[in-house]
Amino acid sequence: MTIQEQKAVVVEKQRVVVDGVDISGHWNRMFEQRTIFEYTPEQIEAIASIAGAESFAYCYQCAKCVPVCPVDVVGNYGPRKLYRYAQTGVNLMESPELWLCTTCANCLRVCPKEVNMVEIMPAVREQAILQGKFVPPELQQAFENTAKTGNPLGQPQRKRDAWIAKADVPVPIIKDLGRPVEVLWYVGSYPSYHPRGVDAACAAARIFTALGIDFAILGKEEKDDADSQRLAGEKGLFEMLAEYNIATFNKYEWKEMVVTGPHELNAFKNIYPRYGFNRPVVHYTTFLVRYLDQLKPLLKHPVRKRVTYHDPCYLGRHNGEYEAPRLLLQAIPGLELVEMGRNRQNGYCCGGGGGGMWMDSFTAKHTRMRLSEKRAMEAASTGAEVLAVACPFEVSRFEDAMKSTGNEHVGVLDILELLDRSMRGEEAAEHPQPS
Amino acid sequence: MASDKVLIIGAGPAGLEAARSVAELGGEAILLEQRERLGGTPDRERYAKLTHHWRDASDVIEEMIQAVSNNPRIEVKTQAEIKAFSGSVGNFEVQLEVDGAPETLQVGAVIVATGFQHFDPGRATQSYNYYTFPDVITLTDLEKMLREHNVVRPSNGQPPKKVAFIQCVGSRDRRLGNEYCSKVCCGVASKQAIEIRQQLPDARVFIFYIDMRMYGYWENEIYWPAQEKYKVNYVKGVISEILQKGDQLLIRGEDTTMGRPMEVTMDLVVLSVGMEPSAGTRAVAQMLGLRQNPYGFIEAGGAGGVDPVATSREGVFVAGAAAGPADLNDSISSAGLAAARAVAVVRKALALV
Repeated sequence: MTIQEQKAVVVEKQRVVVDGVDISGHWNRMFEQRTIFEYTPEQIEAIASIAGAESFAYCYQCAKCVPVCPVDVVGNYGPRKLYRYAQTGVNLMESPELWLCTTCANCLRVCPKEVNMVEIMPAVREQAILQGKFVPPELQQAFENTAKTGNPLGQPQRKRDAWIAKADVPVPIIKDLGRPVEVLWYVGSYPSYHPRGVDAACAAARIFTALGIDFAILGKEEKDDADSQRLAGEKGLFEMLAEYNIATFNKYEWKEMVVTGPHELNAFKNIYPRYGFNRPVVHYTTFLVRYLDQLKPLLKHPVRKRVTYHDPCYLGRHNGEYEAPRLLLQAIPGLELVEMGRNRQNGYCCGGGGGGMWMDSFTAKHTRMRLSEKRAMEAASTGAEVLAVACPFEVSRFEDAMKSTGNEHVGVLDILELLDRSMRGEEAAEHPQPS
Repeated sequence: MASDKVLIIGAGPAGLEAARSVAELGGEAILLEQRERLGGTPDRERYAKLTHHWRDASDVIEEMIQAVSNNPRIEVKTQAEIKAFSGSVGNFEVQLEVDGAPETLQVGAVIVATGFQHFDPGRATQSYNYYTFPDVITLTDLEKMLREHNVVRPSNGQPPKKVAFIQCVGSRDRRLGNEYCSKVCCGVASKQAIEIRQQLPDARVFIFYIDMRMYGYWENEIYWPAQEKYKVNYVKGVISEILQKGDQLLIRGEDTTMGRPMEVTMDLVVLSVGMEPSAGTRAVAQMLGLRQNPYGFIEAGGAGGVDPVATSREGVFVAGAAAGPADLNDSISSAGLAAARAVAVVRKALALV
C-alpha cells in the first residue's frame, strides 16, 4: 500500500454564506479547508458554561473514549473529537454531531477526567432547542407525539391498555381493582403499543400470573416516562410528564414498581427522586430473578437454541444490572447462552438511547451503518440463533438490523418471550390462542 | 589533619538547604557563592511564583537565606571562586579567591550545588527567531514580566490577546545534544499560563506540546486547573517555525490529533526553554575532577546507581540541578541527602584519626 497524496475533501452544503453573502444554489459544493487558521476556545467555553456541561472542557485528549464510542465504530465521533472540533471552530450547538450521541455512557466508564456526556448532551441539546437551532425533524415528531398523546409513538391514550386482550390471562387495572397491590407494573409505551412490544408485555403478564404475583397496571392512566426525551434535550416535556406520572403513581397503594424497560427504570429510580418520588422500582429481570426457584419448575419446555444476550445500556452501565438477565436465560432448559465480545460493562449500544430511537434516518446520514446493524452483526457472528434483549426499544431495532445485514436467520426475542416459550412450549407461544 | 568542615559550592536552593542540613546535623558548613547575593537562579532570574503551593519565589528564597544567615555553624563566603582543589576524603585542600583575596581552606567533604542554566534559544535548530522577533520570549523572560505584573508584547508594550507556549525548546533533542527531558518546563509553562490568565483574563493562552509531562502532583495541582479552571488550551503538536505576519507572529505546526496543518497568529510566543548545566557546574566539575555525563551535568548515582548524590570522587557529593534537570523539591531533597552523607564521611574520617 502506498500513501496517496492527500486529496482535498469536497463538502456539499445546503446553505452557504461567504462574507455575509448567501451564495446557496450557486456554490454549494466546495473544498473543505484543511489548514487550521484559528483556534476558538470560545466554543468550548460556551458549551462548558451551560449548567451540566461543565466537564466538556476537561478533556485532555487521552482518546480512551473513542474506541469505546459506539458511534465512532460506525462513523467518526467521540467526546475527544467533539472537544477538538469545538476548539477548531465547530459550533456543536449547530452541528449534526450534537444529535449523534446515544448517552450510552461507555465513554464515561473509561474517561479519566470524568467528562460526562450523559450530562453534557442533554444540557447542550436543551439549549439548542430553546435557541431554536436545528432539531432533527423525526425527533421533533417524537417530542410532539409525546406532548400530545403521552407516548412517542403518537398512539391514542385510550388504547394504551388495548394489548391486554391478547394476554390470555387477566391483567388487572389498579383503578378498577380498588385495593392495594404488591406490584405496580409500569408497562411502558413500546410494550403497550408496538406490535413486538405487545408480545413481550403479554409474555410478562403470563409469567407474573403463573408465579402468582399480586400485580396490577395503570392502564389508560399510564403515560410515557419521557427519560429519552429528556436525554434528547426536552427537559420541559420530561418534567411535565414526571409531574403527571408521580401524581398518578402516588394515587395508589403498592409496595414495589416493576418496569419492563431500562429507560423507565432509569427515569423512576435515578431521575424522579429529584422531583420527590422515592419509591422502590426494579427492572423485570431483577424482579424475576428473585423468583428463580418458583420459575424453574414452570419452565417445562426446552428452548434448544444458541442465544446471545445484548446488555441494554440503561440496564447495565447506567444501573449495574448484568447478571439477572443471564441467570434468567440460563434457567431455561436446553438454552445455550453465548457471549458477544462486547458484553456487560462494555456492551455495545443499540443506538436507541438518548433519543436515538427516533433519529434512525438522521443518524444513518452521518454514519456508515446503524449501531443496531453493527450489533446485529456481532450477535450473528457468535453463531447465535436468537439475540435476547431486555429493553422494549430493542426488539424492533434488532429485527430490522438482522434483515438489513442479511441475518434474518437470527431471531430477536425479549427475555420475557423466551421465558414464556419455555413455560408454554414453542408452538403455543408462536400461535397464541385468542382470548 | 582531618577536617570536620563541609564545603558547599553554590548558594541556590540546593546549596542553602545543604548548609542548613549540615548545621542541623551538628556539622560545620562553609557556603561558597560566586555572586554577591545568595539565592541562586530563582533570585538571579527573578522567578515569580513557584510551582508547588504557588508561593512567591522571593519569599521562599528569603526564608532559605534566613536559615543559613547568622548561623554559628555556617560560614558564608560570597563573590568566591575556587582556584585549586586537592586532597582526599576527610582532608581536602581548597584554594579560593574571595572578593579578590586568596584564601585556603581545609575541608573534610564537599557538596557541589552549582545548578543549571536556562537553554539559550539562539541555539535551537528550529527557526524560532528569538533574537530577531521581539515578541518571541522565553519562560525566564515571561517570569520577570509576571513578577512585575506587566505581561506585554515587547514590540509595542501592549498586553497580548493571544499567547502561545512552545514546549521542549532545547530539550529532547539529539541534534542539540540535549537528549534528556528538562522535567520542569511543562509544569512551569502551565503555571505561567495560569498566571497570565489571572493577570490578563481576556488573553487566550495556548500550549503546544509533544507530550505533557506533569510529574506527580503537578498533574492535579497545575495541569488540570490550568485546563479546567483557567481555560488554557492544550494542543498536541509542537510548532516548527515562527514567521512574522504584519505585526503578529504566525506559528506553523501540525495539529496532530486533528491531522491538520495549523497556521495561527499569536501576539506573544513563549519558548519553554529547558535546563543545561551552568557554567559553574562545568567549571567546578573540571576543577574537582568529577566525571560528567555526555550533557555536561555531574555524573551521579554511584557504582550501583542507587546513590543519587555520589560523584566519581569519594567525599564529593552533588545536590540539585548540577546533577541534571530538577525541580525545587528534587533539589532540596537531594541537598538533605548530600548533607547527611557529607557529615557522615567527615565524622568517619575524624574517628579514624
